[in-house]
Amino acid sequence: MLFFRSEEHVDRWCKVNGVMKRPLVSLDQLWQLAVTWYGNRLMVESRRPGPDEMVSIFSEIGLEGPFWDPKSDQWASA
Amino acid sequence: MDFDTSVKLNIYETIAHTTRMPISTDVASAIGSSVVEVEQAFQRLYEKRLLVLEPGSSSHIRMAPPFSGIETQHRVQIEEEVYFANCAWDAFGIAAALKRDADIESTCADCSEPLTFQIREGRPLPQEGIIHFAIPAAQWWQDIIYT
Repeated sequence: MLFFRSEEHVDRWCKVNGVMKRPLVSLDQLWQLAVTWYGNRLMVESRRPGPDEMVSIFSEIGLEGPFWDPKSDQWASA
Repeated sequence: MDFDTSVKLNIYETIAHTTRMPISTDVASAIGSSVVEVEQAFQRLYEKRLLVLEPGSSSHIRMAPPFSGIETQHRVQIEEEVYFANCAWDAFGIAAALKRDADIESTCADCSEPLTFQIREGRPLPQEGIIHFAIPAAQWWQDIIYT
């Protein structure tokens, strides 16, 4: 989960490093993930979201599909 | 409050207040427990994916997400305090966890030029930058340090 200056930089980095281009996330989407994931991390009741919760959290900010599903078996040989 | 929660809270409160990741002896001393019990709790917290130990260590914490136990390329400054994050997500996560304005310094993974981000009043200011997730969610914990 790396920062890049722009999508052009992502494209170049993927090509140079032989990495498949995968989903891009905007700064606003990242902030929403950060708040949802870590907003209560310093509190007694904090816990990591479960798999189904994760899918729901990602979907709410427009990140959908098997890439964002922690139970997906599509990547077993990826 | 159960024992593991006490351990978890002590870890997070320590790093939040000091910017330093505690080791098992620090936690044991702070909560009045044995080092063995604390290290057993570290293992259970790892299994709950709430912390990651240094490879081969039972006492040193590499990650208590979003905080990193070592210096990284993702530097988060909140007033005079400097924290380090494990990844882009966690860099924003430190500001979210501490609920404070933050200045984040990182680098573009492609060109290595600096990138800076500001969190103000609960949201990021509009800035240049994008995040690439190279690893699918199903594989994040296969090698969480790489992820």
